[in-house]
Amino acid sequence: MNIVVLAKLVPDLVEELEIDDSGIALDMTWLRLIINELDDHAIEEAILLKERTGANVTVLAPDIEGVDDILFTAAAKGADRLIKIVGDYESGVNNLGLARVLTPVIKDLQPDLILAGVEAHEDLDGSIGPLLAGYLDLPFIGYVASIELEEGKATATKEYPGGLSAEMEVALPVVLGIQVADEPPRYVAVSKVRQAMKTAEIEELEAGDFDLSGGPTIDRMYQPEVGESATIIDGSLDDIADSLIGIFKELGVQ
Amino acid sequence: MPIRETFWNIPHWAEIAQYLVGLLTILIFSYGVIRRVRRWLQGRPQRRIDRIGSRLWSVVVQAVGQARTLQDIYPGIMHLTIFWGMIALLIGTILATVDWDVAHLLFNVQFLTSWVYVSYELILDIFGVFLLIGLGMAIYRRYIIRPDRLANMPGIGFKRDDAYVLIMLGLIGITGYLVEGLRIAVAQPDWAPWSPVGNAIGNAFIAFGDPSNRFLHYALWIIHILIAFVALASIPYTKFWHLIAGPVNIFFRSLEPAGKMSAPTSEEEPGVKEWRDFSWKQLLDFESCTRCGRCQDVCPAHASGFSLSPRDIMIKLDTFIWQPTNGRNMLGDTISADELWACTSCQACVDICPVFNDQLSSIIDMRRYLVLEGDIDPQLQDALANLGRYGNSFGKSERMRAKWTKPIQPKIKDARRDEVEYLWFVGDYASYHTSMTDKTLMMAKVFQSAGLDFGILYDGERNSGNDVRRVGEEGLFDMLAEKNLVTFSKSTFKTIVTSDPHSFNTLKNEYSENGNDHYSVLHYSQLFDQMITSGQLNVARKLGYKVTYHDPCYLGRYNGEYDAPRRVMSALGCELVEMPRNKENTFCCGAGGGRIWMEDPPEVAERPAEMRVKEAASLSGVSILVVACPKDLVMFQDAVKTADLEGKLVVKDLIELIVEATEMNLSETEEQN
Repeated sequence: MNIVVLAKLVPDLVEELEIDDSGIALDMTWLRLIINELDDHAIEEAILLKERTGANVTVLAPDIEGVDDILFTAAAKGADRLIKIVGDYESGVNNLGLARVLTPVIKDLQPDLILAGVEAHEDLDGSIGPLLAGYLDLPFIGYVASIELEEGKATATKEYPGGLSAEMEVALPVVLGIQVADEPPRYVAVSKVRQAMKTAEIEELEAGDFDLSGGPTIDRMYQPEVGESATIIDGSLDDIADSLIGIFKELGVQ
Repeated sequence: MPIRETFWNIPHWAEIAQYLVGLLTILIFSYGVIRRVRRWLQGRPQRRIDRIGSRLWSVVVQAVGQARTLQDIYPGIMHLTIFWGMIALLIGTILATVDWDVAHLLFNVQFLTSWVYVSYELILDIFGVFLLIGLGMAIYRRYIIRPDRLANMPGIGFKRDDAYVLIMLGLIGITGYLVEGLRIAVAQPDWAPWSPVGNAIGNAFIAFGDPSNRFLHYALWIIHILIAFVALASIPYTKFWHLIAGPVNIFFRSLEPAGKMSAPTSEEEPGVKEWRDFSWKQLLDFESCTRCGRCQDVCPAHASGFSLSPRDIMIKLDTFIWQPTNGRNMLGDTISADELWACTSCQACVDICPVFNDQLSSIIDMRRYLVLEGDIDPQLQDALANLGRYGNSFGKSERMRAKWTKPIQPKIKDARRDEVEYLWFVGDYASYHTSMTDKTLMMAKVFQSAGLDFGILYDGERNSGNDVRRVGEEGLFDMLAEKNLVTFSKSTFKTIVTSDPHSFNTLKNEYSENGNDHYSVLHYSQLFDQMITSGQLNVARKLGYKVTYHDPCYLGRYNGEYDAPRRVMSALGCELVEMPRNKENTFCCGAGGGRIWMEDPPEVAERPAEMRVKEAASLSGVSILVVACPKDLVMFQDAVKTADLEGKLVVKDLIELIVEATEMNLSETEEQN
């Protein structure tokens, strides 16, 4: 059983985001990158599956600054193979471009299961899972919260809004978008990561030129604009009701 | 002339038989000792043979002199009388043996004669009385008073073992007196009054029975001898073992500063999973434990209802090693993760142990394994992840670390660029916590107006790692320390000052082993003490407050600084009323050892901080609890609310008192902005 997990780095929202001079992109100077949280869950789910079934786990990530850290951390958790896709990410790569580059790589790896975080906060052209599934001609289930593996098939529990869940049986191979792992991502001691840095090897694959066609074009990127602030109505229940009625009338509510 | 007639009334064959039984005793004893030592040697190596002189002196003061044992009066005197009673009788027996079977047998001389002999008899009689008094106190305490700390032992067989020791010692003492009394009753030597107890017993025999009953004497002598030999032979197999393990453990105790935690004994496999992963010295700890329970009595986690008792950790580990495990694991089945995570690393157990056990080091080593396994509290996991990523537990950007300095004019120097005398290591809580930053501003203002040449590291500072290390995340501690040390090496300063005792401890004691000790480290209370003494800080107004003060574990117990904060309070005109638990006996607020990052389990009845604020509030006329630690302020302010003491007790940082007494105008800085 081969599992391939996609992981990528996204801007860490701990830092204040700033728009660069072009007005259509984030200013990268002050940005700090962090693993996409849901990709972290996807890695955890893959490791849990490995622990249950003995599957082989490969983690695949674009070569952006900090990628070695997340790959070595994955190795410290138990990932067997680490691959980073080297390429020119400076000018911005969308998910379509990334999916096109990843398709042949993933085909070569002959996975039974492909896991990715179901979304990332900087996905502008849709999340990567369905795009990949399209190029690979494989089924896709998103918002998956739990996976059971059997010979040739998987049972995925998909979460719906409103607290609904559905169990779906799907033939392998399949692309799954992970919403949450069965258990929260584990803590990896720093010494284990340091050990992984000494023992694990990161393979490098060339991305070549990215084909970004089909994605949206950004006209303007801006901070949320502050609207009028809310008014808090104080007083007794009757007073509050009276002022509310007053406000409704003023606004022309019939 | 008074002379010791050893083996009076004892046939020669019995004398020889005694030596044969003695030989057997030695064999059984030696086998037991070898068995123990071989077990120690299965532990990991640890170097403990430096400074032989200090080690021997420790044994003299603590084993022979029983200094720590005596800190608790009743059990201290109880133990001292039993110990010295027994030791004197043992020395007496050895002297008699040498007198008779060495000096007399080989050289036909005896030294237990004339005045030497009568004083020998008198002294032994008196020490025998000490022994019996001590045993009486022990029996009264163990079976009538029944203190909590002797109850609820984790396992069976301990009651029998405890009783065995008391019974054997009692029998040795009583049969010894009876044998002596019978001998005196029959022989009636002139010098009998020099053995007052034996003489009294002899007179009783004369009054009530047949004083010529040599058979009774003979039988009692055999019983006395057999009991003594059984007791000796049983030393390595029973609670008596502490007679040997205790002093040996004291000899091999750590002589490092308390605040310097041992690094893991193995780099490949840090942490302890199986008992063989402990160091030989830790294995010796478990065997030395006498189950006295003093550590349990002072443990804040135990007092709060956490599942931890340092006493039980020692007992359970010893039992696990020596008894069949029946497939149970050490970690999980014998020692639970909950117990280990309950520890606040306050050091109270270590500091009170009469045999100098280091319960904390074993707890931390087992935590180290739990951390490797990722078996940790979710909140702690977040804190560690944040510390690894941002260098602080709050999960905020390091660029926000010095945000609190915004209103300050002139700008505080950046010690990485400008040379300063004092590097102010601000610490996480003082930098980020919303209830602390106003105190941090006060400190900056006081430093500035006193003309102190100081700077901070701005976004270059990282958490010092004191608590990270005590959580058991050694790799993260190394990483944080390395980053700070690199920043230190790029900065020019003479002294580090910090308001955080945890940072103070690790910067002072643990950063030096990483190769940098070109600076000294001061707690802010020490610096203010110096500034007030030198006149650099001018106390304009005596406050006249009646206050009490909480000694932070990492300033007091760990680093012995009790006086500086007290001198500062006194200089500010505060009358200090001590809480019952003060200085060495201070009671942890519950935040240390990473506990501040963890959720309290539901069985916790009353948190340590709540107990502590109640202790402060119970002092008459005291309405201010002064603290000298940012974590204390946060913990106690919260506890004042949950313990419903608002309006009765106010928690104040030492810096607030300084600002009041120096009549500093704080709004000034803000107006300039």
